[in-house]
Amino acid sequence: MSNSSPNLASQIHDREAGPGRLLTLQTSVDDIVSWRGSFLAYPDLAADDDLRQKLTVSLLDKGTEQRDRFELARVLEDCGAKLNLSSDGLYVDISGRALTDDLPRVMDVLSEMLQSPSFEEEEFEKARAQALANVQRRMEKTSAQASSALTRRLFGEGHPNYSDALEAVLQKLQQLTLDDIRQYHAAHFGATEWTLAVVGDLEHDMVESVVADTFAGWAPHDADPSHETEGKEEAEPGRSVVPMPDKSNVDVRMGHAVSLRRDHDDYPALYVGNYILGGDFAARLMNTVRDEKGLTYHISSGLSGVSTRYAGYWQTSVTLSHDALEEGIETTTEVIRQFVEEGATEEELESKKTTITGSYAVGLATTRRLAQSILTNAERGFDLEYLDRFPEEIEGLTLDDVNEAVRTHLRPDAMHEALAGVAPEPVDA
Amino acid sequence: MNQTTVADSSPAIPAAFEFEEASDGIECYRLTDNDLRVLLLPQEGAPVATSMVTYHVGSRNERTGHTGATHMLEHLMFKGTERYHKRKGTSIFETLQRVGAKVNASTWLDRTNYYEMLPTEHLPLALDIEADRMRGALLDPRDVESERTVILNERDRNQNDPVSRLFDEVWAAAFTAHPYHHPTIGWKSDIESITADGLREYYDTFYWPNNATVSIVGHFDRTDVLNEVADHFGAHDAAPHDIPQVTTEEPEQTGQRRVTVKQDGQLGAVLMSYKSPPAVEPDSDALDVLARILASGKGSRLFQRCTDQGLTSDVFGMNFRLRDPGLFSIFAYLAPETDHETVESALNEEIQTIRDEGVTQEELDRARSQLRAQIAFDRDGPMKVASQLNEALAAGDWKLYTQYLDRLEEVTVDDIQRVAQTYLTDETSTVGWYVPSED
Repeated sequence: MSNSSPNLASQIHDREAGPGRLLTLQTSVDDIVSWRGSFLAYPDLAADDDLRQKLTVSLLDKGTEQRDRFELARVLEDCGAKLNLSSDGLYVDISGRALTDDLPRVMDVLSEMLQSPSFEEEEFEKARAQALANVQRRMEKTSAQASSALTRRLFGEGHPNYSDALEAVLQKLQQLTLDDIRQYHAAHFGATEWTLAVVGDLEHDMVESVVADTFAGWAPHDADPSHETEGKEEAEPGRSVVPMPDKSNVDVRMGHAVSLRRDHDDYPALYVGNYILGGDFAARLMNTVRDEKGLTYHISSGLSGVSTRYAGYWQTSVTLSHDALEEGIETTTEVIRQFVEEGATEEELESKKTTITGSYAVGLATTRRLAQSILTNAERGFDLEYLDRFPEEIEGLTLDDVNEAVRTHLRPDAMHEALAGVAPEPVDA
Repeated sequence: MNQTTVADSSPAIPAAFEFEEASDGIECYRLTDNDLRVLLLPQEGAPVATSMVTYHVGSRNERTGHTGATHMLEHLMFKGTERYHKRKGTSIFETLQRVGAKVNASTWLDRTNYYEMLPTEHLPLALDIEADRMRGALLDPRDVESERTVILNERDRNQNDPVSRLFDEVWAAAFTAHPYHHPTIGWKSDIESITADGLREYYDTFYWPNNATVSIVGHFDRTDVLNEVADHFGAHDAAPHDIPQVTTEEPEQTGQRRVTVKQDGQLGAVLMSYKSPPAVEPDSDALDVLARILASGKGSRLFQRCTDQGLTSDVFGMNFRLRDPGLFSIFAYLAPETDHETVESALNEEIQTIRDEGVTQEELDRARSQLRAQIAFDRDGPMKVASQLNEALAAGDWKLYTQYLDRLEEVTVDDIQRVAQTYLTDETSTVGWYVPSED
């Protein structure tokens, strides 16, 4: 095992506990535990279940059949614990932290929220108003508009990476009813691939007995996967423009769908290749488009929405002034083209290997981040040893591996563009 | 404890250091040649560590005409030294980011700190950079000009936020003589006029090993790290002068002061602040608990009295623990359709109730539980530990960090009523209103 291996696998306890999988890791921290968990909800994305799922999740802490929202909040506040629930594509995620001694009562609250929310009309209206306000705020952001527009060029409505136009989201939210939420909860909430990672000052058996007891009887739901798994059939690259008045900058997204998934053999090499191109402040895109040409304050590229369950995409994000818009896009495209054709250098590869393995180690220094890494690894279906193997995998890559993966998967000629913040065309009276 | 005793128990301690004391796992050493203080907290766990240099200089050390100097210097410290400089491809930020480090710095009333969280194998790099810029910062006049623009923008953003402005004005009114009077970012005219020479003078006054503490938290070998610290920081002499101390004491306040901020915005706000004791005083512990009882969570007094009754949209209680006497504050955002007088009266009534009747044991226990959890969470990972340790260093005693839980255990319901009666008085209060202007 390499020096940079975090040596986690042998310390993680992995077993069934109640209706799900429980992974626990004891660390040297005192008195606290953090957790991350998820189950697969399998929303029917083409039928706008993503909105139903988000609204359902936002109502879980607003009251259960046993306790009203104040009582729920009071339990957590009294012991200084945190508990969050969120919706993430196919999954519903939970996260939190507590003093170890308080884990039983916090898990009890979580179990109630997941299994027996009260879904009251008044709270539903408040949650919907909040959701509408959030969408309206996002509509004002050029970054949100550009990102969303690019995904619509690359994916169909049934793909987890597809993001609906925000104007359409507003309309759809207004049409939802409390019955929709109740039905969604009944059909899609359950212990389907329910997985929980708990990390901190813990005894493995104690956590197991708490989790097994608390979630005993929680059954899987009957919904099946219905999401699309690939990007759109090759469409001619093109440009989407979201005009927005009074914006000083244009947010630009450029990219295309990639066919590989997270468990593809090429993934690590492509990840490093992209990092060299646009992963951080010292990457090529920043060096050229920002430092040399002065065309932007920030530019980056990354692989997005890549999972073991579906394919994702590769995109470059850059903010440009109206004056430098076309020049900025051209320069960015040229840097990408040159990188794909000529490849990275040995020096760049070695430098980024150090950055990536260093960041990985730094990222595992808190119970929260450890729990997240363990859960993500489990969701991907990877063995526990992968957590230790990742740095070796990166360190073992050759320049040929990286450049070959870049040439195979990144296609500058296939990039779509999405622009938000361009001034609207004047309207003739 | 003398060096011989420590050498007996820990034979590997390099001779360049003298062991001073230890508390709850944290060991304090002194580099004897230049009086640099070093705190080590070795931990099990991932092979990472946080390295932090705390300079015992903050905006409290600034004089009229040079306000904002501490903060501006913090920005300039990233612009480089002869060895670490962008023109050589070795800028401080990118050199550290290249090895996966998280890097940042911050300035506050009583201190300035610079920190790196990185794999332990790269700890020597972080120490080299920090030691190099302790005495070797270039402070290039061109960099001063570009950062002046950046900082003026930062200040403008703060001023655009009426709440930030309200806090500045309340502190300025509450402190008439003591330098807590001026905001850490500085007055605009001072930021505009400070020169590279002025910053150089400030740097040469305060940035010395005997005015700094190096803290290292995480997974490391004690002897290796002490040797690295000695190698890098040992190159510097102690300051050739005495480090200037703040001697100004705030005169006793004998009547309420009031300020109003009028600015564009939506919801009004009320900020009530009271003179509070220095951080190291035990009464500060009782005030921490009182802040929780007043305004932390839905079970708190002010949530129930104000937010739940539709008077406020949010209420916060804050005890600013500082080296010199500071402020205990209650901040409330008004709910729509309420007025400042109503909210201020409600806040006053609740404070008066505590002064008259005290708090219950249940309230104390709940507040203490919340604080206990917060303290435990704040020790999750080297970065958080360093950050908390930094505030204790700023307050004047790093052991405030290690002893805080025990100190909280000492607080009684009688203490809370007593500190409410002692400190939360009209005579020592400064009340600020933020009133949104019409247009």
